[in-house]
Amino acid sequence: MKPIQFDYYAPTSVDEGLDKLTELGYDGKVLAGGQSLIAAMNFRMARPAALVDLNRIPELAYIKPTDDGGLAIGTMTRVRRVEQDAEVAKRFPLLREVAQFIGHAQVRTRGTFGGAIAHADPAGQLPAISMAMNANLLVCSKTGERWVNATDFIFGPFMTVLEPQEMLAEVVLPPNPPRTGSVYKQVSRQKGGYAQAAVIAIMTLDEAGACQNVRLVMMSVGETPIVSEKAVEILVGQKPSEQAFKAVAEAVVTGEIDPATDLHATADYRRQLVRVLVVRALTEACERASKGG
Amino acid sequence: MLIAKVLHSPVAHARIKNIDVSKAKSLPGVAAVLTYKDLPRVVYATAGQSDPMPGPLDTFSLDNKVRFVGDRVAFVAAETEEIANQALKLINVEYEELPFIIDPRSSMSDGAVKIHDEPEYVVHDLSDPNKNVAAAIRIDIGDLDNGFSEADQIIEAEYKVPKVHQAHIEPHVSISYWDENDRLVIRTSTQVPFHVRRILAPVLGLPMKRIRVIKPRIGGGFGSKQEVLIEDVVAHLTIATKRPVRYEYTREEEFIAARSRHPMIIKLKTGVKNDGTITANEMYALSDTGAYGCHALTVTGNTGHKAMALYTGDGKYRKAPNIRFYADIVYTNTPPSGAYRGYGAPQGFWAVERHMETIAAKLGMDPIQFRLKNCLRAGEIHPFSIAWSEGREPKPEYIQTIGIEQCVHQGKSAIGWDQKYGKQEWRDSTDKPYLKRGIGMALMMHGTAIAYLDMGGASIKMNEDGSFNLLVGATDLGTGSDTVLTQMAAEVLGVPVDDFIVYSSDTDFTPFDKGAYASSTTYISGAATTHAAAKVAERIRVRAAMILNDRTDGAPVKPDEIILKDRRAHASDGRAVTYSEIGHHSLHHKDQEQIMAVASYVSPVSPPPFAAQFAEIVMDIETGQVKVEKLVMAVDAGRIVNPVTASGQIEGGMTQALGYAVCEEMTYDDKGAPVERDLVDYHIFRADEMPELETIFVETFESSHPFGVKAVAEIPLDGVAPAVANAIYNASGAMLYENPATPDRVWKALQKQKIN
Ligand SMILES: Cc1cc2nc3c(=O)[nH]c(=O)nc-3n(C[C@H](O)[C@H](O)[C@H](O)COP(=O)(O)OP(=O)(O)OC[C@H]3O[C@@H](n4cnc5c(N)ncnc54)[C@H](O)[C@@H]3O)c2cc1C
Repeated sequence: MKPIQFDYYAPTSVDEGLDKLTELGYDGKVLAGGQSLIAAMNFRMARPAALVDLNRIPELAYIKPTDDGGLAIGTMTRVRRVEQDAEVAKRFPLLREVAQFIGHAQVRTRGTFGGAIAHADPAGQLPAISMAMNANLLVCSKTGERWVNATDFIFGPFMTVLEPQEMLAEVVLPPNPPRTGSVYKQVSRQKGGYAQAAVIAIMTLDEAGACQNVRLVMMSVGETPIVSEKAVEILVGQKPSEQAFKAVAEAVVTGEIDPATDLHATADYRRQLVRVLVVRALTEACERASKGG
Repeated sequence: MLIAKVLHSPVAHARIKNIDVSKAKSLPGVAAVLTYKDLPRVVYATAGQSDPMPGPLDTFSLDNKVRFVGDRVAFVAAETEEIANQALKLINVEYEELPFIIDPRSSMSDGAVKIHDEPEYVVHDLSDPNKNVAAAIRIDIGDLDNGFSEADQIIEAEYKVPKVHQAHIEPHVSISYWDENDRLVIRTSTQVPFHVRRILAPVLGLPMKRIRVIKPRIGGGFGSKQEVLIEDVVAHLTIATKRPVRYEYTREEEFIAARSRHPMIIKLKTGVKNDGTITANEMYALSDTGAYGCHALTVTGNTGHKAMALYTGDGKYRKAPNIRFYADIVYTNTPPSGAYRGYGAPQGFWAVERHMETIAAKLGMDPIQFRLKNCLRAGEIHPFSIAWSEGREPKPEYIQTIGIEQCVHQGKSAIGWDQKYGKQEWRDSTDKPYLKRGIGMALMMHGTAIAYLDMGGASIKMNEDGSFNLLVGATDLGTGSDTVLTQMAAEVLGVPVDDFIVYSSDTDFTPFDKGAYASSTTYISGAATTHAAAKVAERIRVRAAMILNDRTDGAPVKPDEIILKDRRAHASDGRAVTYSEIGHHSLHHKDQEQIMAVASYVSPVSPPPFAAQFAEIVMDIETGQVKVEKLVMAVDAGRIVNPVTASGQIEGGMTQALGYAVCEEMTYDDKGAPVERDLVDYHIFRADEMPELETIFVETFESSHPFGVKAVAEIPLDGVAPAVANAIYNASGAMLYENPATPDRVWKALQKQKIN
């Protein structure tokens, strides 16, 4: 199908873009890589009256180290660039690992880092990763800017705290402490297909080898990515063990996720996947952490 | 040219109470809107098969009733696609919804709604529309009860196979127009141009001679185009508007309103002696034909005819096997099933080859030894040949060539069977404790054409320059049959293939051919082409002798001494005449004649190709994910005429079969609406996901064919799914009774296995 008629604006600066968004209000929509939005428009699930295309604003695409050893990524940075960037590989090897699971090379070459987060697809990897990595998001509008933690940014399937006149400008990833290991595990029906279930585990060990901090995030098993509180409760301060990981898996499956049956998998099977993937992800994250991350 | 669109039913079963097309008709740019009220009520069957139709007549171009979500309600022709789509939305239909049937197990229940209550319905053989039975099969060979009484063990199980889609790249597309002689021309993407003409004539109310059907180059069919699926739409609209009309299916229409592989529930009961001799083998298939009975009898007939014929039993049972094959092919309110490459055999082999694996395990026998002990041998009779022939008179057929032991032998060594099967170290030789390797196999047999029925014709004409026109009815649907047939003619006439101008599949210009199905073209149309070439060769020899003898520069020459080679006719004394001289001589110089011949071929046998399929997998025993790492297929398809096109058939076939094995499945929601409507939700294997493939040809010479060929086209669809499931069993002990082996299903099977 083809989209309904819409107006199109291509601002060349952030200020111009914010002016346009303010002017359009609920009629306007930001166009980033278009890998989700254009498809939705073609199926007429999205019917924006006007698009504000950010592709002509070079100042929104960058990868910059932050003072504390993290990274700041401009919203329009293509996923492919993040995947191939040497600084990213050094600081956050997880990002490169995950990127390979996002669609295909073509999709990643167009799709943007910020766009994927703003899209808040419950089956999308980057919204989940941004939550697991405790990312901070810079949201701008004509009247000012605000910082929102990724966990607060997304509140439902395809739903974020962004107002129509706002744009996501930057994603800041805080540095990993030493002895941090991170792992992404996904099962999908076919290569390049959406995850039936996926688990992200980021674990930091203290010098004695006990778990100092853990972030465990499940995706495709609820309306948003799910950050496990049970994992923190069970693991932090303890020596990691297979038994503890299994206890986390059981707690997550019984109390924290709410998978649905759909075209891609039954709810039962998704639970089984989470049960298995949590243990595998935690085990590997712990191994990596003990090797220095 | 006008663009056609069809309004498809949104409901599974309903009578059309009211249909108002006035708004659609008055939309500017709309040339015609047709409903059942505008068309003569002619009952027919859409299956592209020879006369008489081996199935019920239960279809109308447009009817006052809809029988599945996607069924036809109205046709529109408009100046543009946009206008046509717009017009569809302006058609007002009031449906009187009826109870509907999605599960074939309830089709024959007492009190079930009748899907076909039209008085025009024409039954065929055992079809019974009052019970929603499109066709039924009752085949008894030998004495089943006696066979079971002689068994030491009886093993029973129920298997299930899904509906799957052909997924040819080019969708169905047809164009029709009146030509300058007031004849209706239909250019169509079909496997059966001659059947299209024969079947459509009464539907359109035109004498057959006023219809010409042309099949241009087309982009695949896999059985989906052995169907008169949309030609009637353009033809009715051309007749209504007097203008050219084009109709092309969207991918969604391919999923909701075309044909697919029959889903079946198959029960098997097999008697065996403790030494592994099969004493009796019984299959019952409940086959779901969907809303119409196209190919109902013949597809499901093939399920038994192929899969139940392979194992006759050993010893005295070889001469007197005890086999029963019963089937009910029932209507449901889902899109019709139909022809899909393999044509019933993949369903049968899934069940039989899983069952054989289970029996061998129960007996503690090697699964390959067990199979070979019981399978057909050369010189034996095809057990079904004397019992059933799609409702025609059965005539005995003896198996001439059977390379199945060689297939097993070569396939085993290619996949390293002896180093892997039953070897714990190999099974565990992965980097993770939860990953296990497995290896499995299946045997298969298929057929080559339909004996005493399938006919192909070919004619060859010689030109002055020594080139030839080859005119064949055979339908090249991307298979390369034009090339292969030319190769055979060129071989006989001693010329390079470039000297042939091939033209195929045009009901006005080429001889008849039943079309591209039943794995028959190389065999049937190839034999016709070879015979036509032989007749032309004979005329060339006669003329060459005439020319040489007129020259008087040597001893007199007899035609039968002449050898045709390198575009020349050679006498034994070294003198030769070029084809160009012969061409000019025959057309211009002396005793002028057109050197030309026509031949046709119909076979008294359908020699089965045989094969052994091997699969190697690695699986995750905690998540049920299965990755197929390697497929090896060793095939006895007689002599291979063209190794490139033949191995292309095997590789392409295994690719489709792999989808059947692990991921492809068409499903319907509780209202009967198709769930998968595109190639995102319905996943077929992509090139970059394919495992390593290996094809081995075990060549035999099938003496019933001039070049010794048997078929390759369909047999690769038969064995991959059971071989993969057997490999899963080998890796994990999990028994699958239903394909495809999705992670979900495999995981459930693993749970069951743990409980046992
Ligand atoms: C074939 C295919 C396969 C795919 N597979 C996967 C997969 O496996 N995993 C996965 O995670 N994704 C997948 N995707 C989606 C892909 O990652 C998208 O690119 C991404 O989700 C959206 O990014 P985008 O830059 O294309 O955003 P767009 O499509 O341009 O926009 C998406 C939404 O975000 C909003 N938006 C974008 N940028 C901003 C901004 N700066 N400020 C405010 N709002 C903004 C838009 O208004 C829109 O609503 C796939 C896509 C395709 C086409």
